[in-house]
Amino acid sequence: MATTESIKKAYIDYVLTEGTQPKSVYIFAKKHKLTEAEFYNHFGSFDALEQSIWTDLAKTTIAEIQGQEVWSGYTAREKGLSFFYSFFELLKGSRSFAVYSVKHLPKGLSTPRIFQGLKAEFEAFSNSILNDGLDTGELSDRKFFSKRYKDALWMQFAFVLNFWIHDDSAGFEKTDEAIEKGLNVTFDLFQRSPIDNLFEYGKFLAKNAGFKEPAGFGGL
Amino acid sequence: MSEQSAKEQNSIPTSKVQRSGKFVKTGIKVGGNYLKHYSKKLFNPELDRSELNEDNATDIYQSLSELKGSALKVAQMLSMDKNLLPQAYVDKFSQSQYNAPPLSGPLIVQTFKKYFGKSPDKIFDKFEPRSSNAASIGQVHRAELNGKKLAIKIQYPGVGNSISSDLKMVKPFAFRIMGISGKELDIYMNEVEERLLEETDYELEVRRSISFSEACADLNNVVFPKYYPELSSKRIITMDWLEGKHLREFLQTDPSQELRNQIGQALWDFYNFQQHELRAVHADPHPGNFLITAEGKLGVIDFGCVKEMPEDFYYPFFSLISADLLENKEETIKAFRQLDMIHPNDSPEQIAFYYGMYRQMIELFAKPYITDHFDFSETAFFDDLYGFGEKIAKMPEFKQPRGVKHFIYINRTNFGLYSILHELKATVKTDTYKPHVVLTY
Repeated sequence: MATTESIKKAYIDYVLTEGTQPKSVYIFAKKHKLTEAEFYNHFGSFDALEQSIWTDLAKTTIAEIQGQEVWSGYTAREKGLSFFYSFFELLKGSRSFAVYSVKHLPKGLSTPRIFQGLKAEFEAFSNSILNDGLDTGELSDRKFFSKRYKDALWMQFAFVLNFWIHDDSAGFEKTDEAIEKGLNVTFDLFQRSPIDNLFEYGKFLAKNAGFKEPAGFGGL
Repeated sequence: MSEQSAKEQNSIPTSKVQRSGKFVKTGIKVGGNYLKHYSKKLFNPELDRSELNEDNATDIYQSLSELKGSALKVAQMLSMDKNLLPQAYVDKFSQSQYNAPPLSGPLIVQTFKKYFGKSPDKIFDKFEPRSSNAASIGQVHRAELNGKKLAIKIQYPGVGNSISSDLKMVKPFAFRIMGISGKELDIYMNEVEERLLEETDYELEVRRSISFSEACADLNNVVFPKYYPELSSKRIITMDWLEGKHLREFLQTDPSQELRNQIGQALWDFYNFQQHELRAVHADPHPGNFLITAEGKLGVIDFGCVKEMPEDFYYPFFSLISADLLENKEETIKAFRQLDMIHPNDSPEQIAFYYGMYRQMIELFAKPYITDHFDFSETAFFDDLYGFGEKIAKMPEFKQPRGVKHFIYINRTNFGLYSILHELKATVKTDTYKPHVVLTY
């Protein structure tokens, strides 16, 4: 009896051995002594299958880090870091598949289909830690921008994934450095910074300094 | 400075470009300090350079402590050679001997998972996620297991890779601060690089710590933490947590002369036993590596930096310390030659000059060994020592590289030892572990 897991395993084995997706569900099913119907009971297509592998990685990671004792004491920044470290640690176990999968992504600007589930999980997770951070005042609540914070994290994620695919350092130490450094910079930007103060000072001047047309600031 | 060190550091510049950027920034700042100094001097010709030195040291220190890793280590090294540095640099660099800001909690968890497959809270009964202090290429956390208090030292990722490129960038600064020539700096930097790379190998450090603490087990009033190789790895060291005070905290409690002497004696014995019996020495005598326990014992907590002495260095150098050899000019010059302090192509005048200078230097250095007791509180001795150091630092004859590379760490060790004993104001029995001497060359 085929299970979701066994089909995934068979699929991963297939693409890693053959270096490409099976020509059709029929061929794949036949090779693994399944009926097509059995396959479709679990997945609608190969892409849906790959998508589910990535989504599960994110789900497993989130469940794992939220189960850690330290979790509740973490700041939003640390929660973000924790996700990245754990995700790539977990991904190490399926590195060949990850490399295959990322290298076969269609070129384009929109999120590839196989990452849609992962992205949904990631964004839900990001939103929850970012909202916590905004509530505690750790992160700066800026009009328009704070809604985009999660996009910055997603971009960071895509960057690190790509970095990791090409990382050849022992134990992927460089990926650890990339995470530590990159996420810290990103969260630094989410925090209250001189730019906020400059912006507010500008607003104050515009309202109170009595300038009709503040020179050089284009009527800020 | 204070608000700088109080806040948790949010990012470590780690790529070479970023690190270079840091140094360039420091360079600009230091340049700015000179500008500030000279513009002030225009209006106040009496102004001395101590404010300038102070400004420079602060800026260099800030950039070094943000860099962590080997740069911080170099800051620690520079602060050991008080005789080579103006006081202001020393004061600022000494700060780096205590605290530098920590790394993120999730990275700690990640490091444990990488080496043990488990997060630290699953390995230990208790694990403190905030580090208790920095260890220059890593940081220290408290933990508990089976009722035992432990200290866990964790190394930052990628330290080994960045050491060489760091040192290349430190060079121009060290060059300027220390005022020594490029070639001599090369010898120095290569030796430092070798030691620093060893320090990033935590597996080696655990092996060494265990063998040194066993070899030194019989020394009076010296204690070592127990090390746990099964809970250590390439980037993690687990050892017992030693309860105690750092030297400066200890001195603030205004300890009795007897207690100071006891600690001083323990230090003296610890170093001289290693030098003369083991021929390999804990070469990092900065105060942060020692703790003074409530029972008045000296705790040694870091064996990252060990200098081994080959025989062709040990015998000529330590034999010079015995008065008998130094009386014999011919044999002394032979020993100097062997140590590369006198070069083969030196002219007779040069030989006479260097013989005179080095003899003076060694006589100074050997003073504590000549009698069976020595009072390290004696300021005159240290004034002579620093004075002599400053004098030769200004001499054009000493801009050239002289002396074998082993001097770097052995001098650092012994001057470090002397200056800690001076801070302790301890009187020490100096004939407990005597040098082994050869009288002819």
